[in-house]
Amino acid sequence: MQLKATNSGSYPRIGPTAELQLLRQTIAQRDTGKKTDADVRAAEDALTKVAIQEQLASGLDIVTDGQIRWYDPISHVAGKLENVSINGLLRFFDTNFYIRQPVVKGPIRWTSPVLRSDYQMAQQASTKPVKPVLTGALTLARHSIIEDAAYQKDFSKLVLDYNEAIIREVAELAAAGASTIQIDEPSLLTDRQDTGLELLRETWNRLAAVRGAARLVLSVYFGDPAPILNDLLALPADVLALDFTYNPQLVDLVADARPAKSLGLGLIDGRNTKLEDPGTVKAALDRILPQVDASECYLSPSSGLEYLPRDRALLKLKNLAAIRTSYIS
Amino acid sequence: MNRQKLEKLGIDLPLLPTTSVGSFPKPPELKKARSQFAKGNITAEELKKFEEQATVFWIKTQEELGMDVLVDGEMYRGDMVAYFAEKMPGFELGDLVRSYGNRYYHKPIITGEVGWDGPMTVDWWKFASGLTSRPMKGMLTGPYTIMDWSFNEYYPDRRAACMAIALQIRKEVEALLDAGARIIQIDEPATSVRPEELPMVAEAMHAVIDGLPGYFLTHICYGAFRKIYPGMLDIPVDNFDLEMSNSQLNLLELFHDHPFAKDISFGLVDVHSHKSDEVSSVKDRLKQALEVLEPGQIWVDPDCGLKTRTVEEAIEKMRVVAEAALTLREELVQAARPA
Repeated sequence: MQLKATNSGSYPRIGPTAELQLLRQTIAQRDTGKKTDADVRAAEDALTKVAIQEQLASGLDIVTDGQIRWYDPISHVAGKLENVSINGLLRFFDTNFYIRQPVVKGPIRWTSPVLRSDYQMAQQASTKPVKPVLTGALTLARHSIIEDAAYQKDFSKLVLDYNEAIIREVAELAAAGASTIQIDEPSLLTDRQDTGLELLRETWNRLAAVRGAARLVLSVYFGDPAPILNDLLALPADVLALDFTYNPQLVDLVADARPAKSLGLGLIDGRNTKLEDPGTVKAALDRILPQVDASECYLSPSSGLEYLPRDRALLKLKNLAAIRTSYIS
Repeated sequence: MNRQKLEKLGIDLPLLPTTSVGSFPKPPELKKARSQFAKGNITAEELKKFEEQATVFWIKTQEELGMDVLVDGEMYRGDMVAYFAEKMPGFELGDLVRSYGNRYYHKPIITGEVGWDGPMTVDWWKFASGLTSRPMKGMLTGPYTIMDWSFNEYYPDRRAACMAIALQIRKEVEALLDAGARIIQIDEPATSVRPEELPMVAEAMHAVIDGLPGYFLTHICYGAFRKIYPGMLDIPVDNFDLEMSNSQLNLLELFHDHPFAKDISFGLVDVHSHKSDEVSSVKDRLKQALEVLEPGQIWVDPDCGLKTRTVEEAIEKMRVVAEAALTLREELVQAARPA
């Protein structure tokens, strides 16, 4: 059993120095006509490279691009689909972070790759594999304002049409060489889980068919997965990533389930600054890993790290990598 | 409207009173001064002069727009939680985290026992009140929101942190009342975040205001109201200041099913768009509100604080709210007159 250290998605795109405030300043100047969209893209590139370098320096085995370019986890991809516009703010789960709601006005259509070139740029900037992270169809649909009559009548159609767009993105990323692709479905844990699970089965059956050589990670967070743990393990994802911060019993429950697939172990709280005690994390690994029938598992934050200040996010990753190194030695 | 309580407090308001949620944009000269202060180029006293000038500007502007209940505009605050965390023992100010889009704030970290070293908002309330004869709201952030929007490294759980903060915020409420404030808004925008914690929000608000002689409001916004209504009415305030426009008035459907039993400050315009609405469409929204709410229950204001807008945008958004309320107020009065 290999244990790898990985990030879960986002990474702070601002920090205390002038270099780390470049993106904020450039966007503000673009909005007042003093900078161009090209300037913003250059600033995004610069901050993406810094995010990757900090993850590599922390000792991670798999990094992300930090989702530096994402306005938020919902509108970044949804807003680029045909017949979708972007509306007002909505709080993102129980965070103090707000997303722009997509407004679905007609049949959703994917027209061109959204993430492929960003992934390619990030991979060129990294000596370790970069894991692209997308928000899944169920979560996109749950955060949408539905104005299209067909979707109002049939929510599952909206989910499946969003999923067709996600499938195209996954296929593009796989073709570009992404070896691991993560799809986030936090809504599953706060949704009516019977409905959500049924829809998720359909989306994942389709996704599994187009993944090519890429390993697909299903990541659920911002809630307790215990009530549907076995259902989640049965989905055709290569890796199931879980948030362990909502239920102290989850370590035992996962171990007792004797999973037959790789797990992402979100034992590092991505939402609070307090650093984890290495002994506690190692005890959880001791409890779970011997019960998992898979060649590798991943130690990770419970969610993206954008909810933390940069200095604390970096400390979390260093702590995570140190625990992993200490554990495997 | 809880007129009886307001009358007891000596406050006489017209039908559909107009107000603002709390914050206004900082004028360019104040922004520059804050930047100079951050670089150490000017003193705190020099910065305060700019803050006072800006406060004077906003008080005058609100009066000119015809607002009935004023706010000081929070020219002296950065973030609504960080401002209090900077002044209360037990907090450290963390580095920046993103709020939305290109907006960031310093998220506090609770590292010790929370305390209260003395009034945090009273001098500004006194300064602003001295500039006008109209009622001035005291403006505080509630304990649940301070807890939820801070990292907690000290208390064993969220409730312990929330109740510890509540006991200290009560001291600030008492200080505002002692200074003469009669209308106090205790913002709890995090209320809708975790529906299962709604009883904690109510318990903390009880700890803050029970037995105190004021008319209390709370502002809640940008969340899943469907999951907390009507339970949120258990929060023991007189008036709920709600973001209605951004959520396309869909809360009104909930009020159909379960009547809204308290006063409401009805958010009539989205505050996160640059464009302003026509008075006619704002008036239409208010008419829709009147289909399910009694005229005497309703105050009107923008959806949320206006600090993210430009000065001109903020004034325009308030103007359309005030104009819509004024014309509808006149229509209601005319309609009530005997033929």
